Parts: sequence; structure tokens; C-alpha cells
Amino acid sequence: MDIFLERLFDGVTNGAVYAIMALALVVVFRSTGTINFAQGEMALFTTYLAWWLTTVGLPIWAGALAAGATGFLLGAVVERTLIRPIRRRNDMASLIVALGLFTAFNALAGLLWNSETKPMPSLFPAGLEDFFPVAGARLYWDALGVWLVVLALIAGVFFLFNRTRLGLQMRAVADNAESAALSGVPTGRILMLGWGLAGIVGSLAGVLVTPLSATQLSLTTMFPILIYASAAALFGGLDSPVGAVVGGLAIGVLEALITGYVEFIGGTLPQTAALVVIVLILLFRPTGLFGTRQLERL
Amino acid sequence: MTLLSVQNLTAGYGQARVLHGVDLTIEEGEAVVVLGANGAGKTTTMRALAGLIGFGGRVEFEGSPLAGLRPDAVVARGVSLVPQGRGTFPHLTVLENLHVGAALRRDKRGIKEDIERWCGVFPVLAERTGQAAGTLSGGEQQMLAVARALMSRPRLLLCDEPSLGLAPKIVAELFGILATINREQGVSLLLVEQNAELALALAGRVYLLEVGRVIASGTAAEFREDETVRRAYLGY
Repeated sequence: MDIFLERLFDGVTNGAVYAIMALALVVVFRSTGTINFAQGEMALFTTYLAWWLTTVGLPIWAGALAAGATGFLLGAVVERTLIRPIRRRNDMASLIVALGLFTAFNALAGLLWNSETKPMPSLFPAGLEDFFPVAGARLYWDALGVWLVVLALIAGVFFLFNRTRLGLQMRAVADNAESAALSGVPTGRILMLGWGLAGIVGSLAGVLVTPLSATQLSLTTMFPILIYASAAALFGGLDSPVGAVVGGLAIGVLEALITGYVEFIGGTLPQTAALVVIVLILLFRPTGLFGTRQLERL
Repeated sequence: MTLLSVQNLTAGYGQARVLHGVDLTIEEGEAVVVLGANGAGKTTTMRALAGLIGFGGRVEFEGSPLAGLRPDAVVARGVSLVPQGRGTFPHLTVLENLHVGAALRRDKRGIKEDIERWCGVFPVLAERTGQAAGTLSGGEQQMLAVARALMSRPRLLLCDEPSLGLAPKIVAELFGILATINREQGVSLLLVEQNAELALALAGRVYLLEVGRVIASGTAAEFREDETVRRAYLGY
């Protein structure tokens, strides 16, 4: 039982991170119609920045704030300078740009901070003794910390979407960009802010997940996270923020239980499992669990 | 006073030019209709005026040019378009649709008053404020699209074939409301229609568009008397 609980805790912790990464993907996809494959590597870059700031003496929370702010800027600048000019011409073009940025941000991080693995400090007490017992299992403080930050972040995003003027305008642009423009919504600025918001969320996902990752901070840390997050976003429905959160948690828990209990899969195959999930969803339910079919009557 | 003056308007899509020099004017408080067959350039005219596509020629609203303005800037100047077919946000509620329509306004109280006012004018909306717009019937969605456009407090409302795909009874109701808005709320109206009979009942003046040019214009009364127009557009 306690082993099961600990695996479940691990799953929820990873799932929480997949959830917000998936949320970042969904925020961009809803408004721009692009899966931003560079989201993970942009987060990698800002996580390196957070790590670097700790090496020059700043506390990790300051690094996390800087990562979030940089993530916002990167997202907004990428939308404005690269995505917007090409998007109208060709849907495929923005996908190619995203793939290009994927390589570019990874290479830039490697160039600035070399390819050696760095130990990433955690935002929370992360020693071997920093846990408290729950029904015989150990719940570590850093896991609980990740849960709380993720919860706050998700609450923040949902508050923004459903209770603010900016959020309403973001949803309007995602729903019908032309009518949004005809209502006086500055659609370009709204898209830019959406990419910025995704940048913040993705960057914080990076800072949260690297200290827990077996690979710590290295140039390959964020790639599997992006794969899981994409699977989560597809699972929940690419245009559904709720779906992203549910999908992320589901993928995280499934991953932990499968690697724990299904021996032949072990530690290396779960990414394949995630890809299998992606293929199955695309085959049988392309709109995902919470995704919307066209809701329109004419 | 002239509200909108359009001289030698040219526009198109890519290489294909659709408008070859359209001239029209709208006086303050007027209701004007543009008639024409499919492909005459009615929708293109509306989209150009709303800033959705670029255009050549002179377009002045209240004396200053609209050329080069983006759609949101055109709305800010007081011109609001109800586009053909899809003027609502299907996944947002009726109330949210109306709030998006007020995107440029900051006067919370005024927005609330306007929502109440338009819900009074369109009672079907008042009953469905919490419902997703996509679940409304076609006629209800068209009314919502008009109300949404009115939320920006336009001085000139552009309507692109509001009757398209609606049942005759609904169309009559909608046109009745448009007439009321024009007369009682002082919103000038530029209407594009295929349903000439209804349009002539609503409008004071008419422009007839053919292959991207205005080929005739006059008062609605003159048009109803005109033999060729009657045969081509009214069918009697």
C-alpha cells in the first residue's frame, strides 16, 4: 500500500508539471492554431537562466521569477517577430518555425552554458529527510511544493480566462478572430500576450521539474516533458485548458504506475507509451476528452 | 452632414480585383441599402470599409480617412460591421458575446445599461444570457451578432446580408428591429441585401452594384417604381 501511495505521489508530481506544460501548449494552440514544439526548449533556456542566476549568488526563487519574466518576453517576441508575419500565409510554416526554434533554443543554451549536467537547486526543502508520513508512505516537501505552485498557477490561469477582460478577449480571439477584430479587440496584441502567458507557465514548469528529474539540468531535460505534455494536451483536447490539466495528471499517474508495476517497460519505455497514447487518441478520439467539436449552427 | 463618403473604392483578393471604383455616400441618420447579384462586390465593399481587407480610393468617415486602419481602429472610429454568417463567438455565452462587443469601452455602468437596452430590444437574448452562443438558432445568432456590433456604440452600423438563411418571419422581425434602431437610436445603417423587397422597405436610399461598380442609385421609392429593377430584383 505504501509503495503504491508513493508511486501515486510521484505520478501526481510529474503529472502536475505535465499539466502546466500542456496548459502552455493549449493556450498557444487555442489562439494561434499551432502546437508550439519549441515550448519545452524555451523553458529549457529559461531554466538554465534560473540556474545560472543561482551560481552568481541569487536565491532560486529569484531565479524562478527571472525565468518566468524571460519566458513571457521570449513567447511574446517569438509571436510578434516570427509567427505573426508567416502565419497568414501558411499553417505549416508556423509549425516549421516552431521546430526551428526548438533546435535554436537548445543550441543557444548549450552554447552559453555548455552541455555538462548541472545540479538544479529546488525551490523547496529537498533533503532525504524532508518528508512527512501519509498512511505509511513518504510525502516529500518538494513534491507537495510542486503541487501547490502548480495549483496556484492553474487557478491563476483559469481566473485570468474566466474572470478578467483580457481573458475574455483571449477566448474571443480563439473562438472567432475575425469577429473579435470587428468588436474592437486588438487581436495581434492579444495573441502576443497569449504566447507570453504560455512562456511564463512553461518556464515555471521547467524550474519546478528539473530538480526532481533524474537527469537534473541538461540539454535533454525538457524534451521528454514536452512529449508527455503533448500527449496530455491531446488526451484532454487541444483546445481545452481543463483537459490539459486532467490529461497531464492522468499521464503522470499512468507513467508512474506503469513504470512501477509493468516490469518490461522499466525506466526507458514510458516515453514510447506516451507516444502510443498520442497515436491512439488521434485515431479514436481526435478531439480528446474535453475538446470541443464545432459548436455552430447556421 | 455626410457621415461616410466613398469615392472610387477599389479592392479585391490577391490578383483578383472585385471592386472597380465604387462611389457612395451616407448622410447622418440615413438607412442605405446596397443591392446586387451574387459576386457584384457587396460583401467586398463591406469588408473593405470595416478594415478587414486593404483598398484603394478615398473613404472618409466624419471627414477623416479610414484607409490603412485595422478593424479594431475602425470600430474605435464608430463603424461596426455585422459580418455575413458568422458574427458571434459560438463557445462564449450570450452575455460574454455582448461584453466582447464592448471591448473598446471602459465605462462599466454604460456597458451594463447597453446590455440591458439591447436585451430589451432583442428579448430572445434576455432569456438566454448564460447560454453558449453556438447553441442558439440561426435567427437568434444573427440578432446576437447585431447586438454585439451595437455594443461598441457605433455611429454607422454595417450589415452584410443579415437575412441569409433565416426564416421569413425571423427576417421580418430582424428588419423591424433594424428600422427601430435606425430611427430611435440614431444609428445610421448601411445594409447589403439580396432580399430587395425588405431592404427597400427599410432603406431611404439605394445603390445598385454590378460587377464591382455602382450602376444606379436613387431613393427607395424611385427604385420601387423602376421597371427594370422591379423585374430583376423584386420579381413582379
